[in-house]
Amino acid sequence: MSAAKMGFTTNELDWSSWLKPVDVEKATPEQITVLEESNSRAKTSPYYLTLVHDTEVLRQRSRLFNAVMYGRDGLSRPERELSTVAVSRINGCPYCASVHSRLFIQLSKKPEIIETIFDKGVDDADLPVRERALVDYAAKLTRHATAMTPADLEPLRAVGFSDLEILDATYAIAMFAWANRLMQTLGEPVGKNG
Amino acid sequence: MMSDTKASVVANAAPDLLNDLAGIEAGSPIALLRARRPEISGFIQASYDALLEPVDEAGVSRSERGLIALRVAILETSVPLVEHYRAYVAQQHTPSEIVAAAEKEELAAPLSPRLVAVLEHVDRLTKEPRVATPEDLMGLKAQGLSDAAIVTISQLIAFLSFQVRALVGLQLLAEGL
Repeated sequence: MSAAKMGFTTNELDWSSWLKPVDVEKATPEQITVLEESNSRAKTSPYYLTLVHDTEVLRQRSRLFNAVMYGRDGLSRPERELSTVAVSRINGCPYCASVHSRLFIQLSKKPEIIETIFDKGVDDADLPVRERALVDYAAKLTRHATAMTPADLEPLRAVGFSDLEILDATYAIAMFAWANRLMQTLGEPVGKNG
Repeated sequence: MMSDTKASVVANAAPDLLNDLAGIEAGSPIALLRARRPEISGFIQASYDALLEPVDEAGVSRSERGLIALRVAILETSVPLVEHYRAYVAQQHTPSEIVAAAEKEELAAPLSPRLVAVLEHVDRLTKEPRVATPEDLMGLKAQGLSDAAIVTISQLIAFLSFQVRALVGLQLLAEGL
């Protein structure tokens, strides 16, 4: 099924590459190191095995991705995940939305937030005020970043986001402008076992 | 564990393109805020270096990389990045008529068929990634791009979408601190 046709789901999906992924049996030692550093499942993932064609770029991208998503203070882990779900919903990346909505639900125990974002879209979703401010910021930065002004940070500050949390959110939102585009243009999501 | 002071010294000492483009001065409130995430600043710069200052150009020349980045910056209307990548392509001695053609909405001669295909990939990834199809990649392969080169240019284009938004966020934060 094509990405454009696949709906948003919290079910686990697979991803199929439109290029020839590197054969892990023939990978260089450097490629193996970068795969292992990128993600615990990268050596069996068609996505990482495709990206490792450019080894040095994947190395730096994965270090950045992991620092942005798994930092220990500042913006909470579930709020980092929520930012990326909002971006993935807007950009139309069902695979990214599926992975990160599951992480959000595990961390927050709030499946209803994902349900309303998937059903109604980010603009019409029924959200508590803090989540609403975060999702609106993600939407503006995703859709028309260069039209933004400092006033666009006020709704975040009004509900208690610190400058450090806003910085962390910015990095997470920007990271998924990057991640979504690779997932969407180098392959497509497929149903698990199908 | 680094102290805040030590971390900010390290962050300010290393070259940092986003700081330069956002006009962030050492010791300013936004510089101190960024210095609380020194590893992130470092990995952003290292990603830029891997894509725009590669040790091995590996099938995609610096001139092509610069034209790709410049076109994303134009599509995203990022004034500081347009200026940066115009200077970058000038440094690669890319002919000015090629640069001008890469900046035009309609892609045509004097761009080579290969560059047209590459820059069409820029437009798709930047503006409407959700409608990409496997056939789009066949078009790039038909122009002689290897799978590795397609990964490289796709990473570069997607990185630019990151860079535009990270830069805007830093500028907004800088103005309000």
